[in-house]
Amino acid sequence: MKRSRTAALVLMSAAPLLLTACTEETTREGLYTSIDECAGQVGDLAACEEAFDKARREAELSAPRYASFDECVAEYGTNRCTARRDSNGHGYFIPLMTGYLMAQMFRGDQRAGLSGSPAFRDGNGNWKRPAPGSGGVYSNGVARTMLAISAEPNRAPTVKRGGFGSSGSHRSAGS
Amino acid sequence: MRRVPIAERANWRDRAAQAGFDFHTIDGDRYWDESVFYAFSLEQIESDIEAPTEELHAMAIDMLDGIVGSEEQLSRLAIPEPFWDLVAHSWRTRQPHLYGRMDLAYSGRAPAKLLELNYDTPTSLFEAAFFQWQWLDDQQGEGRLPAAADQFNSIYESLVEAFATLAPSLPRPFHFSAVRDSTEDRGTVNYLRDCAIQAGIDCGLLDIEDIGISADGRFTDLEDRVIGTLFKLYPLEDLFREEFGRYLADADTLLLEPPWKSVLSNKGILPLLWEKHEGHPNLLAARFDPGGEDLPRGWVRKPLHSREGANIEMHHEDGRRERTDGPYRGPGILQALHPLVEFGGRFPLVGSWVVGDRACGIGIREDRSAITRDSARFVPHAILDEDVGVLIA
Repeated sequence: MKRSRTAALVLMSAAPLLLTACTEETTREGLYTSIDECAGQVGDLAACEEAFDKARREAELSAPRYASFDECVAEYGTNRCTARRDSNGHGYFIPLMTGYLMAQMFRGDQRAGLSGSPAFRDGNGNWKRPAPGSGGVYSNGVARTMLAISAEPNRAPTVKRGGFGSSGSHRSAGS
Repeated sequence: MRRVPIAERANWRDRAAQAGFDFHTIDGDRYWDESVFYAFSLEQIESDIEAPTEELHAMAIDMLDGIVGSEEQLSRLAIPEPFWDLVAHSWRTRQPHLYGRMDLAYSGRAPAKLLELNYDTPTSLFEAAFFQWQWLDDQQGEGRLPAAADQFNSIYESLVEAFATLAPSLPRPFHFSAVRDSTEDRGTVNYLRDCAIQAGIDCGLLDIEDIGISADGRFTDLEDRVIGTLFKLYPLEDLFREEFGRYLADADTLLLEPPWKSVLSNKGILPLLWEKHEGHPNLLAARFDPGGEDLPRGWVRKPLHSREGANIEMHHEDGRRERTDGPYRGPGILQALHPLVEFGGRFPLVGSWVVGDRACGIGIREDRSAITRDSARFVPHAILDEDVGVLIA
């Protein structure tokens, strides 16, 4: 089949089921070190388990790979590295997943989306998560790097607005 | 490839309203037109459109290393010098990309020819990914199209997958941004945001005009939060030259599409592709316009930056000339004229979608002229086995 199995809308849809006066979009996103901690904070054990499973599967694919145990330990600490073997029998080392990120989007009471992705704490105690790599919808165009996780968005007082948008005089800025 | 009349769904306007599709009619003219559809064979889709799209995409991506490292090439593409480092850095660090649409001239009888890459701000996405999908589903339900009919359209699944893949690496807050007064553009970003949310990404909407700047040169949203990732349905070349453009290099906001897309969405990529792959069956001869000379017969002149078929000049082999007005100036390219196939006064253009690096669907727009403009109508398509008759109610 050359087409999507389904084609869903969650926000644009005006389906009666979702149309209630108090419908609001909300999002919960958090970093958790265990399913219990997640469930304690979020109150939804099933969602925490589902996100954990997604994260654990993803960790096997996207954790940074090291040729030697020592290289891995230097970055992530003594008790946080383990050996793996690829399909060709080549050995490598990856850090253990030490936490996971769960994001849930709700529309009203209904959950519209859930994601789980792995997080790793390095030897200095900083949390990191893998940047996307190849496979699936992306070929080799996106590099595999580790990115820092920041908890709170930065704020900065705005001094001016309206510095973009002056060319948008026609029907569409798109093509 | 056939153009086939078919009964419209009696309730299609209700279906559009339910899905938030509020630009199916524009200035009183029909934009979404389901009184006809284009029928393709699976072989045509897979061999003539899908495979060449993936190949052309890979060829275009393959050009980037050479271009971003060459001041000469960046100059030929008229990318302003203050932004060369930004463009090169965004490619060398492989800042993620989301989507693009290549426009193909395809008749069903000869190889598809690449007319251009809309790799920065492509629209007609919701129509292709969602409404055309629903049209086929409904028409099968009504029995007007056989259950075995298919469509080249996994755009939705690919978008959700792409967002899920990118999700961990997109700094937050993440905003989708379009110009305030364009219903069509807002429809496109609403749809993209819908897909992102289904991938579990928390994200908002922000008018391009509402983007703010802080005293230390960082972009802010309406709550004074520093924007982590900005999807902008707004041309990179316009961002570069507008007032806040000078903050782009140091603002630390991740852009979708990334600055390196300014190389590929530029018509100048067409002569550069031809220089490297001269004679490729899916490419048309192209060269940079030296300026000043009369357009030879059999050639088309296009500005490097032009959208919606504006400022195009066409000189047919038989001497006829066509020209469209528009706001675009500046240097351009010449491309060998390859007329779109004509079906009873309609000229279909195949928009072939690439999400991430995957060719995942098409949307067809047809206009009454050889140059496809914003007057074109979106017409759905289906894949039919040639020996399956089409039921017309």
